[in-house]
Amino acid sequence: MYKLFLCFRYLTRKGIVIFPILAVWLCVSMLIVVYSIMTGFVDRVRDAGKELMGDVVIQSTLAAGFPHYAGLQKSLAKLPCVAASAPVISTYGIMNLPEYQTSAEVQVLGIKPAMQSKVSSFGKSLFWQYRAPLDAARDLRDAAFPLTGKELADYARTKLKTALVIYRRHEKEIRKLKPIKGHGWIADIQRHWQVIAREDYRQAEYHLNRVFRDLRFVEKLAPNAVIENDAALRKTLVPPAPTFTPPAKALRDYPDKQAEPKYGCVVGIDIGLYTRDRFGHYHRPPGVRFSPVILTVVPITLSSTLATPQSHRFQIVDDSRTKVFTVDRHTVYAPFHVVQKMAFMQQQDLLSGGVRPARCSEIEIRVHHDQRQSAVNAARDQIAAAVRRYALKHPGMESTGLTVMTWLQEQSQFIAAVDKERDLITFLLGMMSLVVIVVIFLIFFMIVRDKTRDIGIIKSIGGSEIGVGSIFVLYGFLISSAGSLLGVVTGTLFVIHDNWIHDDILWRIFGITIWNRRVYIFSRIPNQINPQTVVTIAALAVVAGLLGAIIPALIAASRDPVHALRYE
Amino acid sequence: MANLLELVNIHKSFRMGTEDVQVLAGASLSIAPGEFVALIGASGSGKSTFLHIAGALEKPDSGSVLYQGRDILRSGFFETYRFRNQHVGFVFQLYHLLPELNVLENTLLPAMVAAPWYKALIRARPGRKLAISMLTDMGLGGRLKHRPSELSGGERQRVAIARALINHPSLLLADEPTGNLDPRTGQGIIDLLVRRRRDQKCGLLLVTHDADIARLADRVVRLEDGKITPA
Repeated sequence: MYKLFLCFRYLTRKGIVIFPILAVWLCVSMLIVVYSIMTGFVDRVRDAGKELMGDVVIQSTLAAGFPHYAGLQKSLAKLPCVAASAPVISTYGIMNLPEYQTSAEVQVLGIKPAMQSKVSSFGKSLFWQYRAPLDAARDLRDAAFPLTGKELADYARTKLKTALVIYRRHEKEIRKLKPIKGHGWIADIQRHWQVIAREDYRQAEYHLNRVFRDLRFVEKLAPNAVIENDAALRKTLVPPAPTFTPPAKALRDYPDKQAEPKYGCVVGIDIGLYTRDRFGHYHRPPGVRFSPVILTVVPITLSSTLATPQSHRFQIVDDSRTKVFTVDRHTVYAPFHVVQKMAFMQQQDLLSGGVRPARCSEIEIRVHHDQRQSAVNAARDQIAAAVRRYALKHPGMESTGLTVMTWLQEQSQFIAAVDKERDLITFLLGMMSLVVIVVIFLIFFMIVRDKTRDIGIIKSIGGSEIGVGSIFVLYGFLISSAGSLLGVVTGTLFVIHDNWIHDDILWRIFGITIWNRRVYIFSRIPNQINPQTVVTIAALAVVAGLLGAIIPALIAASRDPVHALRYE
Repeated sequence: MANLLELVNIHKSFRMGTEDVQVLAGASLSIAPGEFVALIGASGSGKSTFLHIAGALEKPDSGSVLYQGRDILRSGFFETYRFRNQHVGFVFQLYHLLPELNVLENTLLPAMVAAPWYKALIRARPGRKLAISMLTDMGLGGRLKHRPSELSGGERQRVAIARALINHPSLLLADEPTGNLDPRTGQGIIDLLVRRRRDQKCGLLLVTHDADIARLADRVVRLEDGKITPA
């Protein structure tokens, strides 16, 4: 009992304890912040990678693809583990935008949008056909349901008016801004305020555009239609399945931009047509949507030689954001049958008679219970066996080098690299945290030296070696526990509020931007806390504190009481 | 009457550089229950060492220390701790109070060491009432929350005496308790020690240089050439 009592007295009446507590606190906090953010980043990369394609992918090693894909799909549909499958044509080409006099190298993916949306997040990655209507439903969820279509449109108009007032106020402020002349910190602060004012203006403009867009969505609703709640509104606004067909309104409003025949395409968000602000919002210039695009691809023959390049005119109907930068930067999606034809992979009549069956580059498959990787792996094995059986019956398929992989195998190189990066940083920080043990050791060593006479006194009144030693071990435990607790609280709070700290404190007050959303794929800094990780880090810190205290505690315990009493 | 404490043929030497210096060479002493023995001797004669051996703080090279007939040098660790905690009380020349604790906490410390942890759950501070009454009796009633640094030398020594007596020991071991005090304060401390010894009926082995203090003892012994002789 006296051990605990003395511990508390030493803790509360010795100022020096603040340093080991501070060291443990900062280290625990730092490890929680870094590990949580890095893990959040890895998880997002992993999730984005998983959503990018099906759970299992059947690919051919040949650029010219493999035949009998429709039959294979039908055969796979009989497997109990297969939920959906979609064929994909993958080829490379040049995208040319005549209106912007610009061109870029792109990967052209021929897909069946409705089918593809069942195996991947393609449908959810679209802005105009999914994101924007979903956001509109979210923005209007504070409306008092149930509402008719007309009432909802009126409500959206009221919101638009408010947004317009705010926008004009910011616009007025912007006009008042004059260039700041002079030097020094006051001028720097004034310049920073001007930057904030411009950013606020941009945000007001972004919000205004968004509210205007929401209004356009709700105006499409039938005036008398009754919308019961937020979920019903979402269901009404979001189209059931994505399509490449340009809306009738676009065909009417932009006759000069129309493609012949009327095929639309979807471009990756980072392909260079849209700008992104510091908050990660994409700004879509009004003219880009429905612009004509000429895609040129070079077909590859079965003997792996290049054929005559094929061009086709499309019209941009939407943009896609998968959150995988390389995909969003270089990918254009177009209708499956058009790209198939451009890539010479359609069914062909042979001069010798007969037909060459249509081909595709890969089949993406969504499996049941796809949340469990073991279920995905088991499904892959079943699918691989089914593919082998099917290939044996169709001789043309064996020579195409079919491989069956899970999404994780397909992206293993990329995900493993990010995983390793996180582990490396955590390891390095962990090594730095060894400093904590040294700091605690040094401070405890000093405390034990300082307390030499106390040790003699405690022993003279009947304190045992174990008792004296345990005072200092307990002391180390309490110090590291206090530091860990503070570290857990501050680290967790920091991670949960990291976006607020970054945007409203670091940038708004100090003008510092660490997470540049123009560069990073994700708009928000990961802010998920894993309780298991937090507990592990805190427990390791307590153990580190105990390790730092143990040698000084042994020294204290073994000290001769008479020498200790005579210690000056 | 059986002896309370008996030190028999105690030998102790210290290594000073390359030489061994013999401090105690067959010193023997018996203390009866409730007896006041004054130990005098020249500086460096080994009085404090003898006292430390008597209180099981230090081990002799040879000899026996018998407490109520039991050799405490041959008993186990826990027996030794219990002996220091329950049966003897030390009063040092330099008071040796813990600077982080206040007067009451310093006094209570031996009682806390003695109390098992489960008793601490029931009672906040074992012996609290006794400590307060003892300190009040010593004129420290208004200083209970004061830290040692806020007390005078005489007050600190009174706290040290209260701490030594809190567990009702049967023997007090005082190592020049007035050595750091002015004569008047020193006399007050001695009076207090003698009075409390009488009240609690415990033995007292007091190391002193002062012949006047030694005269108050039931018996005076001298440590000379490593041996105890009657003065």
